[in-house]
Amino acid sequence: MRKIRVLLADDHNLIRAGLRLVAEQEPDLMVVGEAANGRQAVSRAESLRPDVVVMDIGMPDLNGIEASRQIRERLPETQVVMLSMHSDEGYVLRALKAGARAYLLKDSAEADLARAIRAAFEGKSFFSPAVGKVLLEDYMRKLQRSGAEDPYEQLSPREREVLQLVAEGKSSKEIANLLSLSVYTVETHRAKIMQKLNLRGIAELILYAVRKGIIA
Amino acid sequence: MNSPSKELSGPLPTKVRWVLTAAFAGLLALMLIAGLHALRLLSQMHEQEDQARRNFAERTQLLSGICVSIQTYSETLQLYALSPDSGAEDTLDDLRHLSAQIRSDFGSFVTGRGEEPPPLKAMEDLFARQQQLFDSMLTWPFEERRRRAPQFITSEFRPLQVRVLQCSNTLRAWNVQQLQATDQAMLVQFRDLQARLTRSLLIALGSGLALVLASMVYILRLERQTRTRYEELVRSRGELERLSASLVDAQESERRSISRELHDEVGQSLGALLVDFGRLSSAIASNPVDAKEQVEKMKAVAERTVQAVRNISLLLRPSMLDDLGLVAALEWQGREVSRHSEIEVEVDSKNVSEDLPDEYKVCIYRLVQEALNNAVRHSGAKNARVWVEQSANRISVTVSDDGHGFHPQRSRGLGILGMEERVKRLGGSLVIDSTPGQGTTLKAELPLPAHAETAS
Repeated sequence: MRKIRVLLADDHNLIRAGLRLVAEQEPDLMVVGEAANGRQAVSRAESLRPDVVVMDIGMPDLNGIEASRQIRERLPETQVVMLSMHSDEGYVLRALKAGARAYLLKDSAEADLARAIRAAFEGKSFFSPAVGKVLLEDYMRKLQRSGAEDPYEQLSPREREVLQLVAEGKSSKEIANLLSLSVYTVETHRAKIMQKLNLRGIAELILYAVRKGIIA
Repeated sequence: MNSPSKELSGPLPTKVRWVLTAAFAGLLALMLIAGLHALRLLSQMHEQEDQARRNFAERTQLLSGICVSIQTYSETLQLYALSPDSGAEDTLDDLRHLSAQIRSDFGSFVTGRGEEPPPLKAMEDLFARQQQLFDSMLTWPFEERRRRAPQFITSEFRPLQVRVLQCSNTLRAWNVQQLQATDQAMLVQFRDLQARLTRSLLIALGSGLALVLASMVYILRLERQTRTRYEELVRSRGELERLSASLVDAQESERRSISRELHDEVGQSLGALLVDFGRLSSAIASNPVDAKEQVEKMKAVAERTVQAVRNISLLLRPSMLDDLGLVAALEWQGREVSRHSEIEVEVDSKNVSEDLPDEYKVCIYRLVQEALNNAVRHSGAKNARVWVEQSANRISVTVSDDGHGFHPQRSRGLGILGMEERVKRLGGSLVIDSTPGQGTTLKAELPLPAHAETAS
């Protein structure tokens, strides 16, 4: 089995060294390079073509979000694990929109780094457990204060199933195969879900799924 | 800081000053004209009176001259008529001479004195008849004249003579009457002048009083304005001093709190960690189970420390502004406030460009922060809304809540003064709209520099 090639991008040397230590303990991970800012991360990624870039969200000279967007644009095969101090949904949503697959809090990076890298490599999502918790709290508080009903209740069992699979990163075709449905039916379900939950785009859908604890 | 009332902020009424000056000048001119006019009238009257007296004296003199001449004429005539000589050409010459003299006197009585006085005409006629009689007598032959003359003189001449003298008396009386009439006219004229002068004086006095009153009112108003302005100045200076003192205080207390946090939280934790590391290095060989437990505890301490440092750092500079831009930072702030207070904050925006100049981002961020802080601390609101909208040349920020509001004119805390200062520095304006029981809406408008709109 070939190793997962990893590029580490963080502007703090100590953090980078720590991450490298953690990653190199895993037999299936190989750190192929490091970058100290966003611009460097983009150029290193282009030259090294890693499988996964672990990207700090706040970096000088092109921040992590913009760097991720550029990398995902130029290298669709390369996945991004976003590394952040913030469990706020503004960060999570922007990271998802920039094309990141995994969102890792620095507090728990040591424990979850390997899992996050592997999940991203396989095209799955991964979120630090604390992120889901904060998102859910925000969501529930808002619902409670506004007195509105959770639109999740309006989803049919089949729609919930589709929602989870979409959030996990599966394509409509894969979902159709998994559930023995036609691609058209899956697309219809998807549209219905988006409409019922008032979501725009796959990033918001993933965020919603994380928030509801459907995926982690 | 109360907004100054309109009356005070207006310029001093220079128009009133000009009106007053013009009125004073007018009054002086009026008094001057009235005085000059009176002087001229007086001198005219004086002249008229002089003239009247002169005329009277002249006429009196002429009249007595005429009387004497007529008397002499009459006597000479009788002498001539009764003289025994047929000749006496000398006497006749004298008579002719006298009669010419009298006629010329009559003429000069008339000339230059207007119409002929009625008694003069009668007197002249009588004298003319006397002459006629005399002339007819002259035509008589000498003898007849000697015979008839005495009787003729007595019956014809004398009565005429008496009447002439009577006429002269009437004329004299007329003359005196003339003088009296002139005096009377003068008196009327004088009274008229007196009335006119009194009237002018009254008018001058009245308008002078009115002017003085108006001036007093004007001065009082000026004084009041000056006083209010002075009070305003003192108040605003006091406010400024209070503000700058509080700013210094605020800066100092912020530094104190950061210092305390650094020392108490971070310093203590790191110190504790150092001690733990020491114990760990000795325990790691002897008691690995305890050591593992200790490491877990140390990790918790380190995590708390990281959180503390993060909070301090966020307080000093919200990293979202740099990482995610203004809108995301505001959304984050709204969620933070929602998490830690009873207010649910909604953040919306329209057309806000991500590359606003940093001072605008910071200004808007701090503005919203302060407004939401105020809402949390004072308003008792359940919902708050932040709305940011950018147009071609300006960006506007509105923060509204459904709390119980306040009197923006009465209670303006330092927070609001600080916001005003921030907005003013970027050339913008801040309006706080609030009434007790109605919630609060804060709206700031910032003009954008020309290059910022092209960047969007």
